Amino acid sequence: MTPRKKNPLAPPRARFVQTVVEVEGRTETRVVELPAFEPAPWTADTPLSIVGTSPPRVDAFEKVTGRARYSADIVRPGMLHAVLVRSPVAKGTVVSIRLEAAQKMPGVRAVMGPGDAPPTTRLFRRDISYAGQPLAAVCAESLDAAERAACTLAAALHIEVAPHVVTVDDALAPGAPLVRKTGNSTEPDVVERGDVAQGLAAADVTLNREYRTPVALHSALEPHGAVCEWNDDHLTVWESTQGIFRVRSDIAKALGMPQAKVRVLKDYMGGGFGAKNGAGAHTFTAALFARQLGAPVRCINDRRAEQTDSGNRPSTIQKVTIAARRDGTLTALVLDAHIPLGISGWEGGPAQIFHELYSCPNVRTTETCVYINASGMSAFRGPGYVEGAFALESAMNALARALQMDPVALRRKNLATHDERTGRAFSGNRLDECYVEGMKRFGWTSPVSRLSSSVSRVKRGSGVAAQTWPTGGGPPSYANVRINSDGSVDVLAGTQDLGTGARTILAQIAADTLGAQLNTVRAVIGDTERLPYTGNSWGSMTTPSVGPAVRMAAEEAKTHLLEAASQLLDVPVERLSTHDSQILSDSVVSLSFSELCRRLGNVQITGRGSRGPNPELAVVTVGAQFAEVEVDAETGIVRVLRLVAVHDAGRIINPALAESQLHGGIIQGVGYALFEERHLDRALGVTLNANLHDYKVPTMADVPAIDASFLNGADPAANHIGARGIAEPPIIPTAPAIAAAVADALDVEIGEIPLTPWRVLGALAQ
Amino acid sequence: MRFFVNGSPRDVDPERSPTLLAALRDQLGLTGPKLSCDHGECGACTVRLAGDPIYACLTLTAACEGASVQTVEGLADGRALHPIQRAFITHDATQCGFCTPGQLMAAAALLERTPHPTEDEIRAAMSGNLCRCGTYPKIIAAIRAAALDADDVP
Repeated sequence: MTPRKKNPLAPPRARFVQTVVEVEGRTETRVVELPAFEPAPWTADTPLSIVGTSPPRVDAFEKVTGRARYSADIVRPGMLHAVLVRSPVAKGTVVSIRLEAAQKMPGVRAVMGPGDAPPTTRLFRRDISYAGQPLAAVCAESLDAAERAACTLAAALHIEVAPHVVTVDDALAPGAPLVRKTGNSTEPDVVERGDVAQGLAAADVTLNREYRTPVALHSALEPHGAVCEWNDDHLTVWESTQGIFRVRSDIAKALGMPQAKVRVLKDYMGGGFGAKNGAGAHTFTAALFARQLGAPVRCINDRRAEQTDSGNRPSTIQKVTIAARRDGTLTALVLDAHIPLGISGWEGGPAQIFHELYSCPNVRTTETCVYINASGMSAFRGPGYVEGAFALESAMNALARALQMDPVALRRKNLATHDERTGRAFSGNRLDECYVEGMKRFGWTSPVSRLSSSVSRVKRGSGVAAQTWPTGGGPPSYANVRINSDGSVDVLAGTQDLGTGARTILAQIAADTLGAQLNTVRAVIGDTERLPYTGNSWGSMTTPSVGPAVRMAAEEAKTHLLEAASQLLDVPVERLSTHDSQILSDSVVSLSFSELCRRLGNVQITGRGSRGPNPELAVVTVGAQFAEVEVDAETGIVRVLRLVAVHDAGRIINPALAESQLHGGIIQGVGYALFEERHLDRALGVTLNANLHDYKVPTMADVPAIDASFLNGADPAANHIGARGIAEPPIIPTAPAIAAAVADALDVEIGEIPLTPWRVLGALAQ
Repeated sequence: MRFFVNGSPRDVDPERSPTLLAALRDQLGLTGPKLSCDHGECGACTVRLAGDPIYACLTLTAACEGASVQTVEGLADGRALHPIQRAFITHDATQCGFCTPGQLMAAAALLERTPHPTEDEIRAAMSGNLCRCGTYPKIIAAIRAAALDADDVP
């Protein structure tokens, strides 16, 4: 572990060191800057007055008055509209496309087809490998004109159709058409610890199960979109994204230009959930048309494109073997998983949680990714862990039933005391307390001692599941704090607020550090040109990554502020402090920030902060959720009555906003458990429910009573603000908790979600 | 074609913008109502027509001649926020905020029709407005609070 330097003057310069960071569950070693100093950690006892409270979102007024502007709300003078033409088939070749007819239509300014875009953009390729792939585009004076021309272009496509595969079985069948030149699957990725054969031999009970999870679609209400505008050779992009700097580098690479000439702006965004982590076909299309036509161009996905080609949570087929002694001690866990990624994607599969959630000496996981002719996957809130938790936690619940044991007791018996995957100690892990608190809030009684379900057709049941997720965040992340000549404060960090509340909590951290009133502090985010670098808002990383950088910047600014006050007041700096935007001398108010800054004139007080390296510890957010359901055994309809969630995420910066994150994860988890499933037609290879009517996301009428809470405390070993991430953890245990409650109600295990009526009835009929 | 938007007479060309949503956004610059599904599935475009919540993406501009339309931009009385807007702020009933204008218009219409809705009435009235961030519990709390708040203001 790197020692924290408390003295701001030593060492005088930053150094560079290696650190381990986790991104979306994957571990990477990076070289990072070691800040010249890091503040002493805020512990659970540190008195804080703004951090830990729930002021309203700083941008709430804009959001409730309709003034918050999203990408599609950006209007530039002379702006044109671009629409993509997408493949209607899953595999084939574009033989030809006649562009002329569309080109001549009223309002149409330009058309692009195969060969018209630089290969680095991967736009408009002749080889078709999934339905929905962009094949051509049109740019017109109105969206209406562009859409009409796009229809004409679509009709002018001559495609030679080829056989496709969209299921695992079809993709792996002998002689299957190749999705990628290298083959239709990856080499199995095997990760093992201990000796599984020995673990199985030592077991009193061994269960084998197969679990299946669906393809889930992010379905952010704001579609992907961008507005691009050139000024000479300088490009400005308004993009709905979770990563402005990533979009900038994507564009710079694809268009062969320096990053300094690309400016990416993002003020408000309407949800991302993992699907908006880089530039896309819409970005490149808008940028290319804008350059060609010398006018700003807007390109926004329509809903069909959004539900077809903007990423997804891949489905899984997971074969699980779970083995334990009669007293519940786990002796072996085995997972063999197949994950159809689409045409591309990364191997962030379900295995990891099998290695991390429980103490188990013998674990072997095998993941095989399969390529199919469907749009590629992308990260979706808790990628891999959500799918893995459904299998692992369902297997744990099956084991509890087989052992006639309370599923909570089974889990508490197998608590991980350290990260058995890496051998690292936890910075903090209070999962056991989450179980205890959750049982209390839920009124949990062991199913073993409960009376069996009533004979009525509507049956009730309860279930539990748990979660872990790496939420340490890490460097690099930078922030600046600037105190203006009227004493107001700007926090400058090139991060983004997806709706999580980053803008608010960064202002809270800066205000608390400076001793400033929150309403004098403004967080400025979302601009690659004028703000310091921070990473993507993914992996529940923004709070633990950018938060410490903001605190450090504010600490430095406060040091300078007090030095200046010391000179003005002729009082030693040690006797000065700050509170409520006032300088206190021996705890007596002597000067307001505004008066001090007025006297200083245009002397600018600034502070610079960066996120230091991570400790050599496993930093995780953990939690337990309890569900109660009602199942109509005649109709198969499952209704979730209530959900209790207790999570441990270290310090909570803003409890109201954190609670909203729990609600959001849980409600998406309800959708994953009960309704959400992309239907990809096997024969046609197209998505049958690429809209928000047939792809069912939860409505207000579907949402149960939710009691979501955090354990109080802080995790000063994780980083110096003591906070871990919270956005992804809550979706992870929801579906297995609901499935367990359904199994409890019906006395039938259902190994496949979503638990739609026909699936429930099918299981009951067996 | 003339109609009344947020209390003011406005003229739009229905030929240029066949749907009310397009007319509001593209011709009048009222970008509060959002284009998200374009098929009446999500409610992000919800505005009020003669007081009723409607999907602006499914409403023909030409059918609104002479009618009164209210968008989120017209919900506040000058700087004074509508009780439902205040309640959305204090109950953190927004996350990304994209669906918020539609939620607010549906909620305002509900409260006018049913000043003291039960939770079931709220769920039924609001289930045509999707929120992918999952803000529903807080929207319910905000609507209940706004109903009480309105009692305090004579």
